[in-house]
Amino acid sequence: MKNLFLKSPTGGIFIALVLVCLLFGSLTSRFFTPMNMSVILNQVSVNAILAFGVTFVIIAGGIDLSLGSLLAVSGVIVALLSQEGSYALWIGLLLTLLAGMAMGAFNGALVVLTKVPPFIVTLGTMTIGRGVALLLSKGRPISDLNESLNFLGSGDMMGLPVPIIFLIISFVFCQLLLTKTVFGRYVKAIGGNEMAAFVAGVRVNRIKLWVYVISGLFAALAGILLTARINTGQPNAGLGFELDAIAAVIIGGTSTRGGKGTITGTLLGVLFIGVINNGLDLINVSAYWQQVIMGGIIILAVVLDGLYQKMKK
Amino acid sequence: MKIRVLILFVACLVGSACSEKKKDHLVIGVSMLSMQNEFIQQVADALEKSAKTANVELIVVDAERSSLKQVEQVESFISQQVDAIILNPCEFEASSPAVEKAQKAGIPIVNVNSSTKSKPDAFVGSDDAESANMAMELIAKHLNGKGNVLMIQGYMGQAAQLDRERGAKAVFAKYPGLKLLASQTGEWDRAKSMSLMENWIQSFGDQIQAVFAQNDEMGLGALQALMDAKKDAQVYVVSVDGIQDARKSVEQGNLDATLIQNAEKQGSESLRMAVELAQKKKIKESNILIPFEIFQKK
Repeated sequence: MKNLFLKSPTGGIFIALVLVCLLFGSLTSRFFTPMNMSVILNQVSVNAILAFGVTFVIIAGGIDLSLGSLLAVSGVIVALLSQEGSYALWIGLLLTLLAGMAMGAFNGALVVLTKVPPFIVTLGTMTIGRGVALLLSKGRPISDLNESLNFLGSGDMMGLPVPIIFLIISFVFCQLLLTKTVFGRYVKAIGGNEMAAFVAGVRVNRIKLWVYVISGLFAALAGILLTARINTGQPNAGLGFELDAIAAVIIGGTSTRGGKGTITGTLLGVLFIGVINNGLDLINVSAYWQQVIMGGIIILAVVLDGLYQKMKK
Repeated sequence: MKIRVLILFVACLVGSACSEKKKDHLVIGVSMLSMQNEFIQQVADALEKSAKTANVELIVVDAERSSLKQVEQVESFISQQVDAIILNPCEFEASSPAVEKAQKAGIPIVNVNSSTKSKPDAFVGSDDAESANMAMELIAKHLNGKGNVLMIQGYMGQAAQLDRERGAKAVFAKYPGLKLLASQTGEWDRAKSMSLMENWIQSFGDQIQAVFAQNDEMGLGALQALMDAKKDAQVYVVSVDGIQDARKSVEQGNLDATLIQNAEKQGSESLRMAVELAQKKKIKESNILIPFEIFQKK
């Protein structure tokens, strides 16, 4: 049992997560309540879904900075399609998810066809996306949404808040896709050594295109959930979310150079950030210090994880 | 060739406009920050309306958020020899030359809504600190001067955040019974403030009696969290700005109050000042602050 735990690539971040939980638990009795656990899971669902999608991109050796903007565009689209008395909910959801995939495909096609580094391509589409979100919404929040959309953000199903159910489904889907399919293996192969993968007959460009489509799809799902949660489509939503998502992926042990990474690690990374955000609010640390502490803890966690990985060897 | 004819034609027009100078009514040049902005548009409408009743000719131009363009517009007002200028500055520093140039040319200039580094002949606008002050006074009144309050701040360090914090703190100093349970930043953002409020509900639960949010977006986010936790009826939420969503929420009986900047008054008062200055009347008060208006359900 001990051996199994030590072998796990996510052991380090898991220990870090347990430690911060114990820290906050000892500082306030409000932390370890079932209600607060549910609040944390609910709050991290948007970041988790974004991070799951971008994990594929990072493992394949790419990056997607347009996540926050894609989330905003999708949030505005679903809000526009869910105005009271307009389309049925499923039509709005379907079209929004398709729009997310199309935007992801645009990223992927640019990366594959132009050979411009994905950092630059998605930096560009990040700005374009923000502009499109402002254009579509005319710069204003879009409210008066269908009750049924709001249910996705604040309703309960089987005793669980709906965003948490989406979190679980997305986790299972991505976990299976990465570990149990040929596609998942190819993604890792490309990130590990693109040339070798190409020589071995992997259709590199096609796989690369698809990782961005997946990233776009999950950004759209995150956009839908965020819009449902705050009950408005906000063109300014998701500013800087890409950094939180990418940070969670890296904290979770996915290599920035590509080739390796796990969905479980990403989930732990997301929880780690979410727990710190929640805990710092609970113990009421001043707004200035929150940012300093947040950054400090993240660096510390990654450094410790590095030491831990070395020790294992 | 065509262009030359056009230039000649424009020159004639400008010439005739200038020679027309000695006439029975005043001409006032107006340069607005951006006509894309709903609030600024309302100020401009109010200016036009009061100009009509005062028999003043207005030349309204849109600076499209460019202070460079704004300075050029004021230069052209000066060469047209207008009687006064109303400036809705784009930037504190960069729009300053416009004020200096007008004063050098001996044309009175009035700043409306926001200020410049150089002091104009008159200023008409509202004070951010006052809006926070009024919001907190509403809370103090609702709680009879005694109770627990949470404050959601804007981006830390921005002028609006600092002013609104100052205004709010003054009310806490006035009512020792008001307790600031916690204050954190919601970064002017609805989703961020909703998460913040959810966390506060976990740590303070039923102790929370009132929330002051430094803008409407954050107030609405906090309200959403309170509604999901079925606590909105027992917590009094006030925010600032009077955006459309917030007013709607007040009308539906959800948000308790928001504070509105009075665009109409800012327009009519700045026109009145410009006219008086153009007529060389003595001005009693050159700094006119238009009070915010409380928007709440009757």
